[in-house]
Amino acid sequence: MRQYITRRLLEMIPVLIGISILIFVIFQLAPGDAVSAIVDPKTSAETKAKLREQLHLNEPILVQYKYWVMDILKGQWGESFYYKQPVSRVINSFIWNSFYLSLASFLLSAILSIPIGVLSATKQYSKFDYIFTIFALIGISMPSFFFGLLLIKWFAVDLKLFPVSGMTNPGSTATGFALFKEVMHHMALPLIVLTLGSLAGLMRYTRSSMLEVIRQDYIRTARAKGLREKVVIYKHALRNALIPVVTIFGMSLPGLFSGAIITEQIFNWPGIGPIELQAVNTRDYPLLMGINMLLALLTLLGNLIADVTYALVDPRIRLK
Amino acid sequence: MKKILSVFLGILIMVGTFSSCSKPSSNQGSSDNKSLNKSQIEIIQATNPEKLPQVARDRKDTLIVGTTAPNGTFNPIYSGSLYDSWVCSLIFDGLISNDAEGNPIPNVAEKWDISEDGKTYTFYIKKGIKFHDGKELTAEDVAFTFTAICDPNYDGPRTDAVMYLEGYEEYNKDKENKVKEVKGIKVIDPYTIQFTLTEAQAPAIWNFGYGILPKHYYVFEKGNIKKLKDLFLKPMGSGAYTLKNYKPGAEVVFEKNPNYWKGEPKIKTIVMKVTNANTVVQELTSGNVDIDAVGKPEMVELIKQAGFFNIYSYPSNSYGYIGLNLRDERFKDKRVRQALMYGLDRKGFINAYYKGNGQVCNAPVSPVSWAYTDEINQYEYNPDLANKLLDEAGWVKKEDGFRYKDGKKFIIHWMTYTGSKYVESLIPIVKDNWGKLGIEVVPELMEFGTLVEKVYDKREFEMYNMAWSLSIDPDPSGIFSKAQDVPGGNNSVGWVNEESEKLMKQGLTEFNQEKRKEIYKQWNKLANEELPYLFLSYNKDNVAVSCRVKGVNPSPYIDWTYDIQNVEIVDVK
Repeated sequence: MRQYITRRLLEMIPVLIGISILIFVIFQLAPGDAVSAIVDPKTSAETKAKLREQLHLNEPILVQYKYWVMDILKGQWGESFYYKQPVSRVINSFIWNSFYLSLASFLLSAILSIPIGVLSATKQYSKFDYIFTIFALIGISMPSFFFGLLLIKWFAVDLKLFPVSGMTNPGSTATGFALFKEVMHHMALPLIVLTLGSLAGLMRYTRSSMLEVIRQDYIRTARAKGLREKVVIYKHALRNALIPVVTIFGMSLPGLFSGAIITEQIFNWPGIGPIELQAVNTRDYPLLMGINMLLALLTLLGNLIADVTYALVDPRIRLK
Repeated sequence: MKKILSVFLGILIMVGTFSSCSKPSSNQGSSDNKSLNKSQIEIIQATNPEKLPQVARDRKDTLIVGTTAPNGTFNPIYSGSLYDSWVCSLIFDGLISNDAEGNPIPNVAEKWDISEDGKTYTFYIKKGIKFHDGKELTAEDVAFTFTAICDPNYDGPRTDAVMYLEGYEEYNKDKENKVKEVKGIKVIDPYTIQFTLTEAQAPAIWNFGYGILPKHYYVFEKGNIKKLKDLFLKPMGSGAYTLKNYKPGAEVVFEKNPNYWKGEPKIKTIVMKVTNANTVVQELTSGNVDIDAVGKPEMVELIKQAGFFNIYSYPSNSYGYIGLNLRDERFKDKRVRQALMYGLDRKGFINAYYKGNGQVCNAPVSPVSWAYTDEINQYEYNPDLANKLLDEAGWVKKEDGFRYKDGKKFIIHWMTYTGSKYVESLIPIVKDNWGKLGIEVVPELMEFGTLVEKVYDKREFEMYNMAWSLSIDPDPSGIFSKAQDVPGGNNSVGWVNEESEKLMKQGLTEFNQEKRKEIYKQWNKLANEELPYLFLSYNKDNVAVSCRVKGVNPSPYIDWTYDIQNVEIVDVK
């Protein structure tokens, strides 16, 4: 197993280099650059040329790529054109906020969706199943910007139960548990929006995978030998049904860090989502590269984790 | 706080306003129908102050201002967005400031002289101004600040403020550290500093308003300007407030500087809290935020109904326009441009889009500027005259309803940008109005950054639309001069006019404001006649200020940060 993981990790290096070249070229091919985004009567063509020189934007793609690689080797991932600060610092100041929110939503939807999925499957075509299927469809089709505003209207403005937006109270100096409480209070509404959106998918996955498993011969055997229904479902069926679901969990690792652009924007959650969008608009290549490389790395790691957990939950799979 | 400036453009701001280009915002306007009028600031007074929510009443020593997220470039020579400039103006002081009419007034400099030839500026610094650490502000600090902008590795947005300083090139080009100082920056004595320019320019005074950095704190070796960036989040100046806490994307917290040289600020803590157009009304009406900009007329209406806000509405210092590529034979003909102007119901568009809160623009100057004039052609909607002008220009209407010249149909490809309500409202009106003249308009929507490259760098377009946010000085040469008619320059339409060049030069070298006014009046008449752009619209800014806040009087050249030490929180019955 250890050998397998080491091999996979080493394989990531060439893949990441390939990805970096690909992303770099794609961004460079987009029309305009960080300097052409500055349109200002106080910025003459001359000044723009100078800025381009300073940022190496006037050089061929390969040379620019070389500069980028050199920045990576120096650590800090280069300097963001827009923020004038090291990319690592920019990413660091936003990504954890996104992570907390996404992680909470991920855990919540996992806790809710698996039991609901299992119950829907075991009671297929029952009222319970229909109610949650409809609920899932609503959740998946509800636009988050609309649902978010609706929640703000109901719970923040009318009932005054939760704050309208933000992550902490303005000017708050809370620390420790008080800070945690404050953040949870602010997180409630965006958490509902995000969870409702992702709940449906996971729930349906669990349901269909469970349905498939309970039709298998060995489940019938288990029942035939007189095991109680609970043992059949939760001990024999569930474990097998979860195998495909585990893959989905592994794959959602990059999602935990990539931020939810729309939800974060509506609730003014200081996450990385809106920052990414802005980096595209301002053609901030170093920042874009930084974020995308990080996500690429997380995707690869997520796949690896999925494969390893696969082996852990399914004894038939042997990793070499 | 949603200002019309789009976040992803390099926006310069200094003691009020600098110029930049932006998309016309889709959320402007207020509920009042009065048309704009020069220097008219409309104030809707709070009707029910007693409705002020308890949360706001309980917040006795904290002012909360809504903002768009600043970037964290808290340094006056680096700040790129309006919001970073707000932060800087609370922490730093510049040599000069401006008054409500847009005239320069003393700040750190008690007074200044401009030499006969207009090339030498001497500033006399007030004695006894202290930085936050207690050290005195002297001419050395001013020299340091401006020398930093000249640094060979400087990559911020202020270069144009020092480009005309004598010795700039020598200092800036020298990477071996042989040239130790900029010739044009001279410390006469600790309280006197002199700047020498290579050419006289009336608006140059505005280059000296940027906040002053304490040398002893920021000092760095030439070329090693990275030091300034490392201190972005630990700014120190001589301003009324100090930075206490910054949470990127969430808030900036300030604490008062009790030793402020203009007097101790009355409010202990100021919080700039990030809000957005979706939730600004909720934040304001629930009492969470004291000051914020509101866009759409419906939103202003809701704030008005809340009853405890004073709403300031004033024309923003900007205009929206359509640019035609004047290198295109069809648009070289002035009659065609005028026909397009007469043939477009701009008023109809503005009424529909701004709901009575915008005004037709006829010249590239804001109605709030001292250089504004009414005595120009209003280009009222007149399709008959438009048809006549097109006939004269040789564009003949054929039986299919379209105009042709030399066998070519009159089709205009219009490049514009996505995601804007302004554009979405404009397209059908242009298509319909010009369609009636016999001109087919084919809109092509694209991402804004792509449009900018096509228009400014490649200059491959027939027609586009955008907006300019204007500077406090009315000099138009940054946009319309021949020198800007180069790839990457601002004169993307390629308007070159001898008369205009002459007037702009006169305007730049004339220091008497009355005379300058006359010159710009003439220039605006010329621009109105020649139509380098098809001018469209002016819009309004609306700022809601809670009735518990006294001393904040926003107007076109004045933000809430202005004279912040005098702002106070009062008890409301």
